[in-house]
Amino acid sequence: MNLRGAAAVVGVGQTVYYQRNTAPRSTRGLVAEALIDAARDAGIDVRQIDGFASWGDDPTEGTHMATALGVHELRWSSLAWGGGGGGQVPAILQAAAAIATGQATCVAVYRGMNQAEEGRMPYAKGHFDTQYSAHGILTPVQVCAMRTQRMLEIDKVPASTLEALALAGYHHAQSNPRAVAYGKPLDAEAYRASRMISEPLRRHDCSRENDGAGAILLMAADRAKDTRGKPAYLLGGVQGFVAGWGELTENQDPYTSNGLAPAMVERLWAQSGVTVDDVDVTQVYENFTGPAVAALIDIGLVPAGPAAGEVMTLENLTVEKGRLPMNTAGGNLADGFVHGIGVVLEAARQIRGDSPNPVPNAKVSLLLGGPMAPQVGAVLFGSEDALA
Amino acid sequence: MARQRFGLEGPSHTGHDVGHWDGLKAGELRIQRCGACAEWIWVAQPLCPSCHAFDPGWEAVEPDGVVYAWTRTWRAFHPSAEVPYTTVLVELPQAGNKRVLGLYTGADDPVIGSRVRGEFESAPDENSWPLIRWSAV
Ligand SMILES: [Zn+2]
Repeated sequence: MNLRGAAAVVGVGQTVYYQRNTAPRSTRGLVAEALIDAARDAGIDVRQIDGFASWGDDPTEGTHMATALGVHELRWSSLAWGGGGGGQVPAILQAAAAIATGQATCVAVYRGMNQAEEGRMPYAKGHFDTQYSAHGILTPVQVCAMRTQRMLEIDKVPASTLEALALAGYHHAQSNPRAVAYGKPLDAEAYRASRMISEPLRRHDCSRENDGAGAILLMAADRAKDTRGKPAYLLGGVQGFVAGWGELTENQDPYTSNGLAPAMVERLWAQSGVTVDDVDVTQVYENFTGPAVAALIDIGLVPAGPAAGEVMTLENLTVEKGRLPMNTAGGNLADGFVHGIGVVLEAARQIRGDSPNPVPNAKVSLLLGGPMAPQVGAVLFGSEDALA
Repeated sequence: MARQRFGLEGPSHTGHDVGHWDGLKAGELRIQRCGACAEWIWVAQPLCPSCHAFDPGWEAVEPDGVVYAWTRTWRAFHPSAEVPYTTVLVELPQAGNKRVLGLYTGADDPVIGSRVRGEFESAPDENSWPLIRWSAV
């Protein structure tokens, strides 16, 4: 059995991304709003959702959501383990597996956050043991900074790659009225002037933190045809890790990679029937710019070492002129950060339509999930043409 | 550079790493090592991932290492933090190149690949634990 073509995204929904601590309702309320919006996008009754999947210590359990929405039946609920954003792709693949095996018929993948309710950085709680905290390492940015420092100092990846990714996100956000940074452009001068947070990462290398929620709905491909809009078919996906990674944390190897090992990348292409050259548009989870660059190198879109700087220029990453358009809604940096759900929505929208910066005739849309976490992943969505 | 502490020390709730913290109290840098197959283990585990012998022991190594990565933190993520401070990830050649985190002493940037040596700093009170501070050799 293969996941290729087994499931499709039939609905995309979200709330407004609020500044943290300012959301008008609870996490459960925010997720319900996103799910209702996704069902409206799909043209189905939200009570038809019979599966729920999320990641990263999401507090809105499927049982709670199913009860709140009054669904007809709950057939599947799962949470992808692991701290950070690494569970994002696994949550999507759990939903697809549930559909492919007939365990459920319409599964929502969602993530909601309300920091007034859940406390600061709920996605990182309990994932930094005393080996970290005793030495002042208390937040995700610092561990990502250490890896980024080695990537720059030893691998010789130019720091300009970090800047290009940040600026590309802000560039795309200027045509996305939903983006938190809409109307707030960022240029190279302002990026370079932004204060240091954890060297070598500056303020503008770091994602925002927003309250809000987002959701996609997946259904079997044959049933997707009865929904509203163009389905974004699952072409393939990989999740997890290869030995040498996982919970080894600072002893993970290769330390400056994203964790998306060659065996996983090969399996992604083999399963999906496309190659890296077929990718029309990419969404990369950039909690911080450095790990996202590592993810792009892992997947083969960007060369390792100094040559990364030749490919990762602002122009080359934009929809208008680039060969590698990415983070086309603004990404975690400029669209908004609700633990990475935004890049999931945009990866599907590039195929379904409703992207603020559509890549013309996009057939293959790549999502690179949360980086440098105990488990990582990547997913490809495609149009009906890509499946043919 | 402030010689600060964060007060967030000691064995984790699983107790797997208690051998490391006990080592610091005895003035030793102890790394988990399997008694059956001699594999060095980090992060601490209840069994050896290599041969599956349970309850691996702990072995002291010299606090001599090589900088593998580092960051200087400029934002106070903890109420008692005085910024900036520098954290290093130190590779321990004596312990199968396992890496441990530590606070770095010195105003200059650590250089990846260069040698560092750790000094034991005793606990300031009975609720705290000793720490190792690393500096360039
Ligand atoms: Zn062993």
